[in-house]
Amino acid sequence: MGLGAAALSPALLAACGGGSGGSSEQLPIGTPQNPVRLPVTREPIADGLAPESGTLRIYDYADYLNPDTIARFESTYGVEVELSTFATEEEALIKLRSGAVDADLAIGLTDLSIAPLVAADLLQPFNRSYLSNFTNLIAGLQDPYYDQGSQYTVAQFIYANGIGYRTDRNLDTSVFTGNEGWNALWDSRYRGRVGILDFYRDTLSMPMLRRGLTDVNTSDRAVVEQAGADLAEVVQAVQPQLDGISYQEIPAGNRDLGFCWSGEMLAGPGYLPEGVDPSVLGFWYPGNTLTGNDFYCLLAKSTRPVLAHAFVDFFLDVDNALENQLYVGYQPALQAIETEQLIERNGLPESLIDALVTPERYESGQRLVRLSPEVDAIWVDVWSEFIAG
Amino acid sequence: MSGPSSSPADRRRLWSGLALPGSLWLAVFFLVPAYTIACVAFGRVDPVFRDAVPVWNPLQWQFDDAGEVMSSVISGPLRGVLLRTTAYVIVAVAVCLVAGYPIAYYVARQTGTRRTVLLGLMVIPFWVSLLMRLLSWVNLLEPDGLASRALRIVGIDRQWLNGSHITVVFGLVYGYLPFLILPLYAALDRLDWRLVEAARDLGATTTQAFRWVTLPLSRAGIAAGSVLIALPMFGDYYTTDLLSRSPRTAMMGTQIDFFLNGSSQKQKGATLVLVLAVLLALVMTWYLVSLARTRREQS
Repeated sequence: MGLGAAALSPALLAACGGGSGGSSEQLPIGTPQNPVRLPVTREPIADGLAPESGTLRIYDYADYLNPDTIARFESTYGVEVELSTFATEEEALIKLRSGAVDADLAIGLTDLSIAPLVAADLLQPFNRSYLSNFTNLIAGLQDPYYDQGSQYTVAQFIYANGIGYRTDRNLDTSVFTGNEGWNALWDSRYRGRVGILDFYRDTLSMPMLRRGLTDVNTSDRAVVEQAGADLAEVVQAVQPQLDGISYQEIPAGNRDLGFCWSGEMLAGPGYLPEGVDPSVLGFWYPGNTLTGNDFYCLLAKSTRPVLAHAFVDFFLDVDNALENQLYVGYQPALQAIETEQLIERNGLPESLIDALVTPERYESGQRLVRLSPEVDAIWVDVWSEFIAG
Repeated sequence: MSGPSSSPADRRRLWSGLALPGSLWLAVFFLVPAYTIACVAFGRVDPVFRDAVPVWNPLQWQFDDAGEVMSSVISGPLRGVLLRTTAYVIVAVAVCLVAGYPIAYYVARQTGTRRTVLLGLMVIPFWVSLLMRLLSWVNLLEPDGLASRALRIVGIDRQWLNGSHITVVFGLVYGYLPFLILPLYAALDRLDWRLVEAARDLGATTTQAFRWVTLPLSRAGIAAGSVLIALPMFGDYYTTDLLSRSPRTAMMGTQIDFFLNGSSQKQKGATLVLVLAVLLALVMTWYLVSLARTRREQS
């Protein structure tokens, strides 16, 4: 049986207006304009417990944690870390719901998933007394709109959508000002040398941003269809490749520019051929773009919740977060990390300083929020038509 | 084991008993999944997790989304995808036949160690995963790849990995050719070559003997090999996904992959699977009719 309203937490449904229709509108969906405090249906673990021994099971994207940092955590606590991976957030949600994955911590999920995870009672609240490094987080993310009070989530990485590019190719980088920079993706001079993200929400939002729109969660079919038509023009103009591997392809020299996440370009230096100067990589994003973050979640069925808290706190430590960034690329959501540290300690090239997302730019960006099934179907239909060619 | 004195009824029971495990296997691992796909296609979507919720009772099936998909396949955006996929498959099968038939013919005419070595060479591609072999072509066809550079030397300078129909068809041919050659070889190996010699003795030229004797007698192998590669080609998505990643070369499998793995509309992906299954059933029917006709002619 699939999870409908019947499987939702009664307390949550009550908190959200109840009903038996199982519509996602009953879920508390936070937006920057309407932050939500998620209902708590279980108590966090008690204070002052010792970390458990044994194996901590983590569910995360591949290559989203530095093996060296994990090894130091293991030796510090005398435990082992077992990593299971997912490829998409949808896959993670489905496997967590079905019980196909049994883990202590889920990492890398975003606010698109938080409401159903809480609704299905799959999470347990964090106990802040175990997170001594919590205040290292960017202030806005200590109390995020999707989970006021950070009851169920602790932010991990922040990022912005923009254009990654090669500085050593014959590109007209003068367009990378204001909102005009998006036009580079429509510039036929770059035919065959462009990539765009293969994620329908992000990529359909991009032409909307280019047109100066700010509602990237629109339910207006005409606006979404216009975005699809604009993307079709990109295909005509530059024949882009649709994927999520600009972080490999741009450093490898196989493409000159790509619509991607800032973290991809920050990871780029690790994918450069030997001997190539990291300053060949650049990133641009305007004020009107998508910004976002992902987070750690403590799963309700965790058998080692204290150890899981310790793991999160370990990665909130500035030194450990910097070491992790060196491998993953994505920018830790820590206000305590200075640009100079990333340059001096992690070798971030100055050409990529623009890929860093400051707290102010993070706050001013647009956010993708969870759509109702009916509105989501509009976006899916338009994307299906676009990828049909 | 059936003894020499066993009756025909005993033998029938024995063969039925031997077929039972395989039949059960088919029932469990083909019919049940096929029904499940229908239950997903005509089912609903979980409004919270956006996952497919199969509806097991056919009386409760809903056909709205399936109807939407069908109208798209018949006269909407998916029509172009279906036509493109069909064109790719037809061209790729044709190229496979042109390239594979001489190889199968040549190997079938060999004897002894030479034949064994050639058969071994034909099987070698199976030692390496198709995924790895296609990824190696991605490297070769990149702008600075070895193959791209070599082609530039002979004056062919183009982007091979950005929505090139040629590259996708090439990938299909590359991936499926061995699957065509083996059944074709088996058919040619069983061919009664005395008939070819008889045709030559009666005055036929080499070409005429091939056209009027060898080719008709190998028709069953051609049909078997073609069906064997055409069926998976129709559902293929990783060839275009790896070698193109462009909407210009999207195949039906690309759409199914998106609906099932990247969207909240999994019932539409399941409907496309059913549409494809019906089309492939038609191809299979053609093969079976063709096979029966060939057998009648040969007997």
